[in-house]
Amino acid sequence: MSLEAFQHSEPLTLGVELELQLVNTHDYDLAPYAEDMLRLMLKTPLPGSVVPEMTNSMIEVSTGICHSSSEVLGQLTQIRDALVKSADKLNIAVVGGGTHPFQQWHERRIYDKPRFQELSQLYGYLSKQFTIFGQHVHIGCPDADAALLMLHRMSRFIPHFIALSASSPYVQGQDTAFDSARLNSVFAFPLSGRAPCVLTWDDFGRYFDKMTRTGVVKSMKDFYWDIRPKPEFGTIEIRVFDTPLTIERAAALAGFVQSLAAWFLNEQPFTPAEDDYLVYTYNRFQACRFGMDAVYVDPATGDHMPLREHIVQTIDHIARHAGAHGASGALHMLRGEAAAGQNDARWLRSRMRDEQLLAEVSRQAALRFRGVPP
Amino acid sequence: MNELMSFWSQWLRPSAGLPTVQWSLLLAAATVLGYLVQRYSGLPKVLGYTLVGAAAGLLGFSGALWPLQGIGLFLVELAVALVLFEAGGRIPLRWFRHNPMVLVQSVAESALTWAAVFWTLTWLGMDERAAAPLALIALAASPTVLTRVVADTRAAGPVTDRAIVLATLSSLYALTLGSAQAGLTGQPVSDWQSALYPVLVVLGISIATGALLSLLVRLALRVMSPGSENTAILLLTLIAASTALAAHLGGSAPLAALLGGMLLKQLHPRPWAWPRQASSATSLLTMLMFVLVSTVAAQADWSATVAGVVLALIAVRLVAKAVGVGLGNIGSGASWRQAVWLSGAMSPMSAIALLVASQLVAADAERGALVASIALPAILLMEVLGAVIATLAIYRAGESSKPWAAAAAGRAAGSSERDSQREP
Repeated sequence: MSLEAFQHSEPLTLGVELELQLVNTHDYDLAPYAEDMLRLMLKTPLPGSVVPEMTNSMIEVSTGICHSSSEVLGQLTQIRDALVKSADKLNIAVVGGGTHPFQQWHERRIYDKPRFQELSQLYGYLSKQFTIFGQHVHIGCPDADAALLMLHRMSRFIPHFIALSASSPYVQGQDTAFDSARLNSVFAFPLSGRAPCVLTWDDFGRYFDKMTRTGVVKSMKDFYWDIRPKPEFGTIEIRVFDTPLTIERAAALAGFVQSLAAWFLNEQPFTPAEDDYLVYTYNRFQACRFGMDAVYVDPATGDHMPLREHIVQTIDHIARHAGAHGASGALHMLRGEAAAGQNDARWLRSRMRDEQLLAEVSRQAALRFRGVPP
Repeated sequence: MNELMSFWSQWLRPSAGLPTVQWSLLLAAATVLGYLVQRYSGLPKVLGYTLVGAAAGLLGFSGALWPLQGIGLFLVELAVALVLFEAGGRIPLRWFRHNPMVLVQSVAESALTWAAVFWTLTWLGMDERAAAPLALIALAASPTVLTRVVADTRAAGPVTDRAIVLATLSSLYALTLGSAQAGLTGQPVSDWQSALYPVLVVLGISIATGALLSLLVRLALRVMSPGSENTAILLLTLIAASTALAAHLGGSAPLAALLGGMLLKQLHPRPWAWPRQASSATSLLTMLMFVLVSTVAAQADWSATVAGVVLALIAVRLVAKAVGVGLGNIGSGASWRQAVWLSGAMSPMSAIALLVASQLVAADAERGALVASIALPAILLMEVLGAVIATLAIYRAGESSKPWAAAAAGRAAGSSERDSQREP
């Protein structure tokens, strides 16, 4: 199979996907209600879509094509309200967060869909351990070459995305000491991590052909990269975000991506190179492990600095592009949180310190997702 | 069997008394058979417990008196109360506001079951005074069997959850009406107020005891962690105290526990996270309950006529529950396929039906013999058959593993307790 053509999309348009947890209201463990939720959600006309995910305690919602983070928030609000209504009817709750804090992976069941069953056959227990919840942000690119350039420029900001969205400190009932433990599960997949540093679509096509010839890859879906091109949409897709606990933060993160992309397109600020990736894995680890307290190594200068400072600097730097796309409010929120060293992982830990019960942390997270202060 | 017992009692004089030894050995046998049943058939352990109890009852083991009384009655009530307290905590009242059709579904299946069984039994020529209590006994589905099936097959999902809720609500109706009917027996009913009085007494005392229980647990949870072993023990002891108290005051102990669980969920919407130590104590008590129930139920006299009526009652009950669940399914958020398996999952009858029967029989000895002659075989049959039907229904709904395949996989892997793990 050869690489499909890169479709046209309007530059800087946005699309957001959120993978969400379905939990029962008794002990707040994951509940296999995906099919029922999908059936009930069909009755409500909504922008975007609601689809199943790998295991039957998860669903994925997505917006339609949006032009601003406020439009993303508007669509996510509609979808969230419909989700909450359906969940109330089924006596379950919907929760954000990158991991369910105490679910046991071996108790999960693969959703009955051919692709998921196929993946389960191939990856064994990894597929059940893939009961993790991420946010994906699509950003429209003017053309295929611009998309690859955008992808590799965006890679420098992967630690920023991870630290701002981190919401998975607990796995299997334990504090992992990571702010984003979710990405460790993604790393187990053979085609995860960074995309190869090729900057033209022709070169990327040749790389894709070589990979398909090996038989390891059949389509773009087989790459679990942190950022990957999505030729059928004419976008690149950023996949390192944990699903935040609130839709407001999810929309704000989309606004951050859009503002960075606007900066790249308008100013062409730097040319990515293979050497950028010398520090990529280290920076990524730092952000996953320490969140806002991570150290960031600038790939161009080699300077070390606190990641939260670099986030604040970056936001200040792209503020004018944010204003042009109505993302100032979103960036203001993220800047404040970064300056204070706050993220959802820290909120989850503070709840756990007070409550001493992960199930109660999940219940309070469910209330946050509803927009009700716990 | 009786000769064996008298032989034993002549030379064996244990400190805790011979019945303690007999019951301990019976429970040991039930434990082994329950384990073997699950290991080699994949079906729930409750089948093994019931078979051992039934065998003991058929062989004339006289360790349990009918109608239930004394320590036997207390142990059954306590075990049922523990299950119902937990089941009551699964019913947040706000759910009925968001999905009133679940309540409609519950009322429909219970009312239809009562009406269909009553009509069938009178059509078969049974006295109305016996048909009415039997119809009441038949409406109680068994959350006790269902929760054991769910635990043994590690089931989870919409059908499983809703079956537990509907079975719990049907128990609520049966316990309230059964206690009230027992209270009415032998009293002149001159007007509707005097007919309503026993219902109000049972409900009032049960609600008061349940409220006290939930308030005490709520108070404890202000200072104690729900995950602590001590909290779990406190819960068990409080339920035991309320069981003894509610029955003594004229209420229904299981009803008080059920209402206590529901009230606690209202007062304290936080997650229920009692530790595993508590579930071991509950497992022992529920196992004892299943053995005791089947021992008592097996003491009934069988005949061709009785068998015919029992089978008719069971068949009509299954159909009525299915129709009731179907009628209330519209707009309840479940699919038709799920409704079919849901009605199957609600087929078991067990301890709650036995408690209601025992109460009615104790209240009116005259018609008690007739009621017991039909109720006891029906309960015994549906404790076994109901557990199998519920297991298969939950499996067919896609909410547990194929029981026999899981058992085979467990044997192949040489595993013991993990043989019922789910696979996609």
